Amino acid sequence: MEASITLKKVGKLIRDKTILASLTFGIERGSLVAIIGDNEAGKSMLLKVISGIEYQEFGHVYINGLDSKKRRLDIISSIGFVPHEIDLDPWLTLEQNVRFMGLMYGVDTETVNTRMIQLARELHIIPHLKKMVQDISPGIVKKGMILRALVHDPDILILDEPTAFMDVESYRHTWDLLLRLKGKKTMLYVSQSLSEVEEAHDRILVLEDGIITLDGSLDKLLGSTFDYHQFQIEFEELSEDLFQKLSKVPMVKNPSRIGNSIHFYGRERNVFFAVLNAAASAVMKDISVNKLGLQDLMDAKFARDGIH
Amino acid sequence: MITFSFMVILPLLLHVSITMVMKNIFIQSLDKIPYEIWVFPGIVLTIASMSMYSIIYRDMFDLRIHKKSFLPMTLTPFTKTQLILGFLITSIIETTVYVLIAMGVLTILLPNSLDWSDYFIIPIFAFLYSFILGNIIITFSVLTDRVSTYIFTSVTMFLVIVFGSGILVEFEFYPKTIGIILSNLPLSMILTSLRGIIFFNRFDWTLIITPIVVAIVWTWMNGYLLKRKLRQ
Repeated sequence: MEASITLKKVGKLIRDKTILASLTFGIERGSLVAIIGDNEAGKSMLLKVISGIEYQEFGHVYINGLDSKKRRLDIISSIGFVPHEIDLDPWLTLEQNVRFMGLMYGVDTETVNTRMIQLARELHIIPHLKKMVQDISPGIVKKGMILRALVHDPDILILDEPTAFMDVESYRHTWDLLLRLKGKKTMLYVSQSLSEVEEAHDRILVLEDGIITLDGSLDKLLGSTFDYHQFQIEFEELSEDLFQKLSKVPMVKNPSRIGNSIHFYGRERNVFFAVLNAAASAVMKDISVNKLGLQDLMDAKFARDGIH
Repeated sequence: MITFSFMVILPLLLHVSITMVMKNIFIQSLDKIPYEIWVFPGIVLTIASMSMYSIIYRDMFDLRIHKKSFLPMTLTPFTKTQLILGFLITSIIETTVYVLIAMGVLTILLPNSLDWSDYFIIPIFAFLYSFILGNIIITFSVLTDRVSTYIFTSVTMFLVIVFGSGILVEFEFYPKTIGIILSNLPLSMILTSLRGIIFFNRFDWTLIITPIVVAIVWTWMNGYLLKRKLRQ
């Protein structure tokens, strides 16, 4: 498929600190790509560089095949950007904010109104359009920001924490819209909510200290960890001796304790029975066995080591 | 409504606190024009200055430092110079409305009214004056990131403009060298040129072209500064 966004050896410095380090990757047209990573990993900066808010010091960003530095005015209208922080003008109504940006992009008033009403209906924010932004809750304003980013009908939508500040219903409305747009628009988003990423991904990029350490679909990323399970056993009382004894059971990986519970990983199910046998004398209150998810992939280094 | 009331009260305040006091000191200009008539264009441009400061603070500085809707504007298909020009034009249009209100109020307070054509000329020069002053304010707005610094520089600049542009006092009252330097600054040129036209029917192209060229170059420079500041 044709690439919508292409990065070639993109590097970004702030003073002497490297924020992005020689990133090279492409994003296919119409795909939905999530970027995850720890704080300060460079996720938001990557979105800013791609959207043109900040220029990179090194390398090239191509949007629809055009160099973002040399052809800025040609490509800028094909991008819609939703930052993490609320950035609407608080002294205008939601409608005025959206209309103003639509006109700035050269969209005629009638088209702006039609799109605004349609998108506002999908996002369930029609009753809030006439309100001053400063009087609206942050979750609704965030939906207003998504509406503003879409009003000029960009090919590429870049979102930094698209569902930040939202309640469950708003979260659902937002993802209903984004999933409807999947395939029609290239969407790139950053999220700290790994469950959100697990639910609605095409591809996941894991960023660590400005470098992409993992790249692929959820199935691919978790591919080499499918054999692993995470176990948790809650005891009535988990003594230090018992914890140490259980930690030393062969095949137990990354044991940790939270109160009277022991949490560990194991490749085979029989590790669970080995632990149960070793703890036979202690009173157990609860047990759980789960497959690994993105959270485990991010947390447990041993799981990631298996992929490389 | 509050803004409108303020724009009616402001010229009244300036008339009471400046014109009514200063006319007892200066009585008339060196060219024998009654002080309250001579200072009229200066008071109008002072109001234009106050308006430009507050509008650019509201539309540009405040939105930029608080990260509200300014960055999205920079992502629209306009060059930074075009954006600066947009900020300037919108603020000048708003200022022109305030200037017209101020002229109306001040005229009621004048013992002798100006010629009717002067009421067309003054807003045109106020437009040019605001064009340059707006650029000065925008430069500070781009270079400054803190409200306290902005206010400090604004108040300092405002005082320099009011006392150093021939708004209240003629340049002949300053020490000779300082008077020559101040009278050759672009903002002073506009005021000198305006008074030359309305009081003596004297039209000096140099005094008009120079500020226009300065304003255009400054607008371009502000666009460059903004581009550097935003790292875009």
